Amino acid sequence: MSATQNGNGGVVTFEDLCEQWHQAADHLRTFNRLLTTDAKVAQTPKQVIWTLNKAKLYRYTPVLPDDRRHKIPLLLVFAIMNRPHVLDLRPGHSFVEYMLKHGYDIYLLDWGIPGPEDCELKYDDYALEYLPRVIRKLKSVTGAAEFSMLGWCLGALISTIYACLRPDDGLKNLVLLTAPLDFADKSSGGFSRWVSEPAFNPDKLAEAFGNVPGEMIDAGAKMLKPVENYLGTYVNLWDNIEDTGRVEAWHAMNTWVRDIIPMSGAAYRQLINEFYKENRLMEGTLTIRGERVELGKLRASLFNVIAEADHITPPCQSERVIDLVGSQDKEVFRVQGGHIGIMAGRGAEKSTWPHIDTWLGARSN
Amino acid sequence: MSEQNERMNIFDPTGMIKSMRDSGIEHWSKMMTELVSSDAYAEANAEMLNAWLTSSAPFRKSMETAVNQSLSALNLASRDDYTRLAERLTNVEMRLDDMDAKLDELLRRQVGPNQG
Repeated sequence: MSATQNGNGGVVTFEDLCEQWHQAADHLRTFNRLLTTDAKVAQTPKQVIWTLNKAKLYRYTPVLPDDRRHKIPLLLVFAIMNRPHVLDLRPGHSFVEYMLKHGYDIYLLDWGIPGPEDCELKYDDYALEYLPRVIRKLKSVTGAAEFSMLGWCLGALISTIYACLRPDDGLKNLVLLTAPLDFADKSSGGFSRWVSEPAFNPDKLAEAFGNVPGEMIDAGAKMLKPVENYLGTYVNLWDNIEDTGRVEAWHAMNTWVRDIIPMSGAAYRQLINEFYKENRLMEGTLTIRGERVELGKLRASLFNVIAEADHITPPCQSERVIDLVGSQDKEVFRVQGGHIGIMAGRGAEKSTWPHIDTWLGARSN
Repeated sequence: MSEQNERMNIFDPTGMIKSMRDSGIEHWSKMMTELVSSDAYAEANAEMLNAWLTSSAPFRKSMETAVNQSLSALNLASRDDYTRLAERLTNVEMRLDDMDAKLDELLRRQVGPNQG
């Protein structure tokens, strides 16, 4: 849109200027609305079927009749430092909605928002206290002896630990999305580099705050690409402010991004010390509640989704696991895109979701 | 580069400004991403955070002690009391969850033979 282009052969009239002024004011109002209000997210119908402390297990209402649904239910396990709404961002662009339409019986584990009383929760608790209970409930509700699990980011880490420690619990298929598992390369990605500094002390941080504040985690994630996150995204929004589709997509994503939650202090300490600094899972020295976690014991069919342009979990953190697991049926799938974009970006419906469905569908009956 | 030249049109000043802005942001972004990925930044960041946490710890501890003592003198529950209570509630919830699972199992066994 240029100030010199109009229907009067290039001559700008006072009327044109007024119209443009009004248009700019409208855009500013839209811009303000998008920054200060929340979009409606996570609208796919679901029921709570289990709770423990802050954690909730939801069952999404199936959209296909029994005879057209896959027999093996799918459990979604999201990360512990964000809300899981990104899996069900908005109607017409929701992974959950897509999978429901493709015949899956879907369950979502929402870890909830940890309070000060949860500051001692560790991966030990998530993987061996909460997750087994969730799975017990899922099996009880569905009557199925087997299930599939999809873990995203730190949810993938928890899922992997569980899958190694409880290989006979009925886990048939494991889908890992951008899983941060291997921290051997300390120079890859900003997080690895930052927390590998000897002066970086997660114990002091957890001691000071109890739970690590969501604002701190959010700032850390945004500082990996500061210009894009603090400026570029808004410039982009302004440039596309007349494109309703893009604007609504941006609004939904921004609503999710703004919905920050703290991370349990003990889990944070464990993540930095045992995973990032000592790489215990890959080294085979990780112990969870006295049990050694051996990747070789993971036998479920494995689909490892890696985002090529992931700056939060660089590909090298997810690649090596495929060589170490005991699964006979395993596959790596690489997608062009970032940490969140591969599942919630505009192209996810074509680039990522169908591949997950194809792989999982063939193993869900 | 050629794409950028195509976008540059001297008869369209708004487009030119936009194009310059985009390329400015792009360069700035690359520069900042390199900066935050450097060892020097990681070291400075860690040192700064460490210094702040170390220097603020004594104040934080004395503040906590003072608040706890005041609450105790006023016969009011402190955060620690609530935390302990919440932990006990979670333990009760776990016991209930175990009982719920056992009931489910019993019901399934009972219904199973009847259905058969």
